[in-house]
Amino acid sequence: MATTWTQQTLNHLRRTRAWKSIFRRGPARTNRTRSLAIFGNIFLHVLPVKVREKSLRLRATYYLGSFSFFLFVVLTVTGVLLMFYYHPAVPEAYRDMKDLRFVVANGVFLRNLHRLAAQVMVAAVFWHMFHVFFRGGYKPPHEFNWVVGVGLLLVTLFLSYTGYLLPWDQLAFWAITVGTNIISYVPILGHPIRFLLLGGNIIGENALLRFYVLHCVILPLAAVILIAVHFWRIQKDGGLTVREDHERKG
Amino acid sequence: MSEKAKYEAGFGSDALKDPQRIVFITKKTSAKVKGDVGRQVMSFPHVILREAIAFQVLTIVLVAIALFWDAPLEQLANPLLTPNPAKAPWYFLGLQELLHYFPPVVGGVLIPTLVVVALIVIPYFNVNIEGAPLWAARRGRRFPLVVGTVVALLAILVAYQAWTVIAPTVLVAGGVLLSNFLSPGQGRLADFLRARPLPWWVMTWFIAVALTLTIVGTFFRGPGWSWIWPWR
Amino acid sequence: MSSSDTPSEKPGQQNPEAEAEVTRRDFLNEIAAAALGVAGLGATVVTIKYLSPNVLFEPPTQFRAGSPDDFPVNSVTFIRDQEVYVVRTLAGFYAVSAVCTHLGCITQWKPEDDQIECPCHGSKFTREGTKIAGPAPRPLPHFALRLTADGQLLVDKLETVKETQVLKV
Repeated sequence: MATTWTQQTLNHLRRTRAWKSIFRRGPARTNRTRSLAIFGNIFLHVLPVKVREKSLRLRATYYLGSFSFFLFVVLTVTGVLLMFYYHPAVPEAYRDMKDLRFVVANGVFLRNLHRLAAQVMVAAVFWHMFHVFFRGGYKPPHEFNWVVGVGLLLVTLFLSYTGYLLPWDQLAFWAITVGTNIISYVPILGHPIRFLLLGGNIIGENALLRFYVLHCVILPLAAVILIAVHFWRIQKDGGLTVREDHERKG
Repeated sequence: MSEKAKYEAGFGSDALKDPQRIVFITKKTSAKVKGDVGRQVMSFPHVILREAIAFQVLTIVLVAIALFWDAPLEQLANPLLTPNPAKAPWYFLGLQELLHYFPPVVGGVLIPTLVVVALIVIPYFNVNIEGAPLWAARRGRRFPLVVGTVVALLAILVAYQAWTVIAPTVLVAGGVLLSNFLSPGQGRLADFLRARPLPWWVMTWFIAVALTLTIVGTFFRGPGWSWIWPWR
Repeated sequence: MSSSDTPSEKPGQQNPEAEAEVTRRDFLNEIAAAALGVAGLGATVVTIKYLSPNVLFEPPTQFRAGSPDDFPVNSVTFIRDQEVYVVRTLAGFYAVSAVCTHLGCITQWKPEDDQIECPCHGSKFTREGTKIAGPAPRPLPHFALRLTADGQLLVDKLETVKETQVLKV
């Protein structure tokens, strides 16, 4: 049997003690080892071991949920890289943007990618929600997962919004001014919430630091937790909603 | 049912007290109870491979665009100088357009809160779950109700002169009222519209308004939030 | 702690839930839940306190606008650093906020139209701060205006005054 160099290497690796200590199963060629590949893996075990063939059709999902998640992964990677050159301070934050553009190698590319992925993610999450709605994916037993999804939509919007302030340019400053002034119209609690969010009465250094912490720590953590629940509940709620065929013929 | 039942149904969670118990499977507790699920395939490799390909396609497209399309960066933030027009990120421009018409407590607080609450409660109302066509039953009662709601809504919008909300509302309202007068055999579109349930119409209206407001806010608003034509 | 030793059953009740006595375990559970609740509430209050800064490094709210002679009669002067218009009419002086009451954008004085305009959502005001058009919910507030001992105009942005109040010099 002719094998490529990659296959040979893989086969060799599979026989090593180190590989066996990590995977504890043979190659995923039988249904048993294929099941193990999913539920024996901490990252994949939230997914179902088997899925309905119909739910794999492109029209069933357009991979919108997957794309939203992948965009989140891209944003996490680029975001962490951008953090190495960013100071959440006035006016260093703006200077760092200039540095990213003119001084740091590939800095402008990373910032472009981060910004682009953020915009696309908002669109993807909205589209995902509308698609799920029109397919009736919110119906029992998926009610709770729909609610988790609404939570994820809000986290996505907050993530995008808090990130908007970080470059500390005119665009950022006035978008956040308008947004945080909307908060102060909330009856009774409006002004205290705005004061807490900004760490003061004006959008200054405190506000930048708070948005930075929200954007880089608190909201991503919330997103990761909600994403885990969201994926896990797909499995627990019996897989993706599959349309009955007679509906399509209509 | 003349014979007296030998067993009594009751609730209990103490296994020592009631060692023999029956499990009742109700309709909604577990999806596994469902009958036909169609053919199933293993997630590995069928799903994992497809996801991997989707991820690669996405990455390639994103990188290709990011290489040539620069993220905007304006002047250093200046709290003393408001740019004209001052625009929020695109996904909030619909909200900003609403704020142009409605008082802030309505446009900025009440409407967004209502939208979020409405989204959350969608799966908890039977009207959204049954999905029966709007005009399939009780037409005589429903039609005046729908007309009344539309007229009341339009009256409020006209009072605030919210023209960019009125336009999509009129379109969707026209569709929902027209679909009442359609009969079978008038083409596929007519059949499609006749079979639409109420939640479909409401969501379509929401998307139409949100889309119109966002597009208007992005392209058709200039200095002082005045109307401009983007091609001029 | 003797609630479990002294049963207080009421005869004749059918519902087993209602007549169940409070056991020691129930009591301890209640106490523990209450303690957790108090601790959680306390932690929340302390955290909110921690997150509210006590000292702010924000611009001062009182400032000197200059000598009254610097402002010609029938003029509107925008004091950029302080976001305030100083208006001089025949009757005297008053100070109007330049921050739009809608969503906090800085308005601009348009002498050709004799009005103040907001660039964000299109609100328009007269030089008195009264709204002419747009979504702003309130007129622009007037700030207290005084003369210092050395004859300078002093604006206090923390103190708003009635629109009819003008400073005669």
